[in-house]
Amino acid sequence: MLSARLTPIFSAAFAIAYVIAEQNNFALFTYHPRIDEWGFLTQAPRNGPGMYWYGWLGTSIVAAGAVTAASIPFVRTRSVPVVIGWAVPLVIMVLFVYLLRAFFFR
Amino acid sequence: MNVFLLILHGLCAVALLGAISHQTVSAWWPARKAMGFGPSFRAVQGAKFTKAIVILFLITFVLGAIIYPPYRLHGRTYLETMRMWTVNGSFELKEQFLALSLGMLPFYWHVWRQPLDEALTLARKMSSALIFFAVWFGFITGHVVNNVRGIF
Repeated sequence: MLSARLTPIFSAAFAIAYVIAEQNNFALFTYHPRIDEWGFLTQAPRNGPGMYWYGWLGTSIVAAGAVTAASIPFVRTRSVPVVIGWAVPLVIMVLFVYLLRAFFFR
Repeated sequence: MNVFLLILHGLCAVALLGAISHQTVSAWWPARKAMGFGPSFRAVQGAKFTKAIVILFLITFVLGAIIYPPYRLHGRTYLETMRMWTVNGSFELKEQFLALSLGMLPFYWHVWRQPLDEALTLARKMSSALIFFAVWFGFITGHVVNNVRGIF
């Protein structure tokens, strides 16, 4: 079944895309909560803080969707290791603990 | 409205905690007979919780995303002013863990689909455990942040 081969790819691609988007602030859109406005791509804060988390999610969904779609011709004939579906998110979770360690050692 | 949504978010999170805890414990430490509280807690059929967990996760996630802006404007500013870096950092971790869990949800749903595939036993255990950890971490962190700042 194709979904059996695609869901691990989506899961792994999403995790990798998310950490890249978060670390480089590649947001698909920006929300300005003080003035209740949305903007396309990463924008400078306007009249208050800018919120990029929604945009990182958007970037990750689009990137993971694209990677998954692009992998369809390859996975039809080859098996995909299921382990990447949970191991890659696990590694990225641990990586985030490391990346955010400054909060806990001030 | 924000208070109502925050309470609804918390209630959905409690339901999600119960479901994912049952499923994860039943996957890692199954019990054959439901005798007493502990074995009864573990003796559930984990696969039957999958749809509920996916739906509850999505509802809780969306509610959390809706009430995030007031936290960003008032809660986080307060945490930064008070130099409560550990609480602030825990919330940062919460949003990253839950975002990663969201991306893993299609995979999680797939490996728990019935009839269960024996070859996916480890994937079921690990995907449930990761979501279990993210949801518990998010719940405790959200609770602490809420207690620090209060809901009004």
